[in-house]
Amino acid sequence: MSLLEQSARRDGGRIVAALAAGFRDLDLAEEAYAEACARAAAVWPAAPPLDPAAWLYATARRCALDMIRRRNVRHRTVPERPEPQPSAEDVLTSDDRLIPDERLRLIFVCCHPAVAPESRAALTLRLVCGLSVAEIARAFLVAEPAMFQRLTRAKKKIAEAGVSFEVPGPEAWPERMAAVLSTLEVAYARAHEDAAGSGPHAGYAREMLDLTAVLADLLPGEPEALAFAALVRFAEARRPARLDADGAMIPLAEQDPRRWNRALISNGDMLLRRAARLNRPGPRQLRAALHGAWALRRSLAEPPPWETLLALYDLLLEAGDDPFVRLNRAVVQAEVAGPAAALAEVEALDADRLDGFQPYHAVKADLLARLGHVEEALEAYDRAVEMAPGDAERLWLIRRRADMLYTHKPPDLPGECRGPDGER
Amino acid sequence: MQYALLLYENEAVYAEEGAMSLEAIIAAHGALAAELAEQGVLRGGQGLKSSDTATTLRKSRGVDTLHDGPYAEAREQLGGFYVIEVPDLDAALAIAKRIPFAGDGAVEVRPIIDED
Repeated sequence: MSLLEQSARRDGGRIVAALAAGFRDLDLAEEAYAEACARAAAVWPAAPPLDPAAWLYATARRCALDMIRRRNVRHRTVPERPEPQPSAEDVLTSDDRLIPDERLRLIFVCCHPAVAPESRAALTLRLVCGLSVAEIARAFLVAEPAMFQRLTRAKKKIAEAGVSFEVPGPEAWPERMAAVLSTLEVAYARAHEDAAGSGPHAGYAREMLDLTAVLADLLPGEPEALAFAALVRFAEARRPARLDADGAMIPLAEQDPRRWNRALISNGDMLLRRAARLNRPGPRQLRAALHGAWALRRSLAEPPPWETLLALYDLLLEAGDDPFVRLNRAVVQAEVAGPAAALAEVEALDADRLDGFQPYHAVKADLLARLGHVEEALEAYDRAVEMAPGDAERLWLIRRRADMLYTHKPPDLPGECRGPDGER
Repeated sequence: MQYALLLYENEAVYAEEGAMSLEAIIAAHGALAAELAEQGVLRGGQGLKSSDTATTLRKSRGVDTLHDGPYAEAREQLGGFYVIEVPDLDAALAIAKRIPFAGDGAVEVRPIIDED
């Protein structure tokens, strides 16, 4: 990886955020940053800078000022834009690093209630994580031109409607925090789906560790923000154990806990404890607690914490009935009360609403298979495989499907149903 | 930035028994407008007579037609507007939240095109 790629990946988000906050213009920030990267590509191979982030920032800022000047010449009637506050140097030179709340500020701008909810996560990923429009379009299963239009519309709304670039005061947090957290949740869910960590949205799983740390630092009194940071840590801690040698997904209960990242887990633990001490329970704390309960498992010899998980799911349902929570609860219930009880729960869910949700078909397939309903299970497996978000999960599902056929050996189903990973 | 705050509400609420009277609402608007004027934020605004006094002229392919009634037949109708000058949308929204309504209603916050 070149120095520019490295630096862009590490500092791109901060630089764009600082430019956007300084100039209060999202498009200008992006254009100026792109221009600075182009200049870096030309200059750095011969003369690498001592501090790449500072170089990029200072260059981008000069580009932005040039662009404003050119714009003003074109529209002579437009008054000179005021110098950005605080000055670029103030932001940069304090400790050679851009201050982290510029990014937080930009997240709050992207998640302003005036921005359409379906654009918020995409805009955050574009401006704060520096993902390309193509990557975001793929992550949200939207055509690239449509995503481009959505982002353009959102940026235009922010500019024309005069959305503030200030982090709102605590009185506005209950309203705004929910938007910020759910945006980051959507973004992280996309990243986490990709078990292999190689898909288009793998890059921002790491970014999310960073962003949630910033959020937790700046809002230490917001238990749901702390809990979300904890959740991301617990989930990322499992990344090294999520794939087998063939690249197939390993379900949570079968992952070797010795391969989980203990440092991330204890960091998550600490955050969740801090959230609990604030004594304001909320759904994100329960969700983080679910991940935390798994993290307590030290080896495959210890039984999974099914009872604890079931109790936590029940609490989560008390906070608000949700078919997606019910589906996850059914997975746990299958272990506690058996697959028949779990299947009854799943079949009581609104099939039409969940039809487009891949895990619904995967869970149903598994329960049907365990109960020996081979044909129905096959149908559900096929739906799940077709909708699988990544290769790792597809591979795992195909294997499960083949295992089922091997176990049940239905006389009327020929061997062509075995998975492509060979006979076992 | 200048914003127009467009007030939409169900006019029928004033006919309801026990509802806040039109006079009381007008007084509440007056108090808010006086406060905004004091802060130098208020640029203009008026209340409108009820929508059954409206006449709509529609231009369609060069033909003008008149009809009796407001532009859109909706439960909530444009009943008045404020024009304010504030630094950003959040400040405009904070003022929008303080606008009095006798019953349910909505405020559309629209930036005004900068003439300079």
